[in-house]
Amino acid sequence: MPCSAEAHYVIEGVGGFPGGFLHPLLAPAHSLLLVGLGLLIGQQSARDRRILILLFVLAALGAIVAVAFAATADNADLAVLLAATLAGLLAAAGYRLPVVVPALIAAPAAAALILDSVPAVISPSETLLALAGSLIAAGAALFLVTAVTAEPQHQWQRIGVRILAAWIATVAILVLALRFTR
Amino acid sequence: MRAILFFVLNAALMTPAFAHGGEGITGGFLGGLAHPLFGPDHIAAMVAVGLWGAFLGAPAIWLLPVVFPLVMAVGGVLGILGVPLPYVEIGIALSAVLLGMMVALAARPPLIVAAVLVGAFAIFHGHAHGTELPGGADPVAFALGFVVATGCLHLAGIGFGLLARWPSGRLAVRAAGAAIAVAGLVFLGQSA
Repeated sequence: MPCSAEAHYVIEGVGGFPGGFLHPLLAPAHSLLLVGLGLLIGQQSARDRRILILLFVLAALGAIVAVAFAATADNADLAVLLAATLAGLLAAAGYRLPVVVPALIAAPAAAALILDSVPAVISPSETLLALAGSLIAAGAALFLVTAVTAEPQHQWQRIGVRILAAWIATVAILVLALRFTR
Repeated sequence: MRAILFFVLNAALMTPAFAHGGEGITGGFLGGLAHPLFGPDHIAAMVAVGLWGAFLGAPAIWLLPVVFPLVMAVGGVLGILGVPLPYVEIGIALSAVLLGMMVALAARPPLIVAAVLVGAFAIFHGHAHGTELPGGADPVAFALGFVVATGCLHLAGIGFGLLARWPSGRLAVRAAGAAIAVAGLVFLGQSA
């Protein structure tokens, strides 16, 4: 898997905060998750959207704290893809859901995204800086996708969101299958 | 007529589904993007899905392009896991024949029938892609590329299919469907 939890810089030589900031934006699996989750959250009510984004940020913060206490997760990439699959499928269905359903995806997704962004072989302080960058970029990307897709004015926008979500789920399912064959 | 001639000549001169054989293109997003575009049978079927969706109107116009990639993923998983699926290339060619015929005949079956028909053929397309996927250097980017390409082919079909709102456009769309069906027959002859 290209986005597994192994030591990785998305751009060679760019570490620390900038490297962490770029990671969720340039790692394909992370981008997939953020767009899929953003589409799902964008379909919920305004109140639920705020709750879900806040929950995502809090869960990511929790994961950073866990990393500070030396927590690791070998299969975080798997959880990222699984969350992208579920978010894509639910967004493709296009229903407004009880807030607990997207919350059950958003919180683990945020934690998995952070745990899958941990750079290796650098100092603890640089790790935390990198993860802070990842948190800010992921939160901003999620907010942007949600804001752009929330309350669509036209039917074609609703259709576009559902088609895009179906594509995201498809890619995530295929890569998950690939992950299990390796 | 030009469009029909183009499709028939294109179909006659090209080898069916050679992009599904695993040669050549592997790699990241660009490789995935190019992958469906090098299979004329795949292109014909994808465009036909979009054409038919537009022809049927809402909700088929969005339901078919949503159903197709999701069911395609099932076929893709079978391909990745190495589960054999008989007659994949014949199934892909048949998809062009039948979907093209549906458009040419202006068929308006119940939505569930259209979705099942499109979904059934999506399994063959997905299996071909799934078999190819493990060769990609970056599977996420590769899968993203070919799903985007597939979606763009649907959009091209939908865009052209929207001409069916006008009488002459309707004729053009049905002619395109007929051309796809004829091309599908050529693919079928080559893969049988």
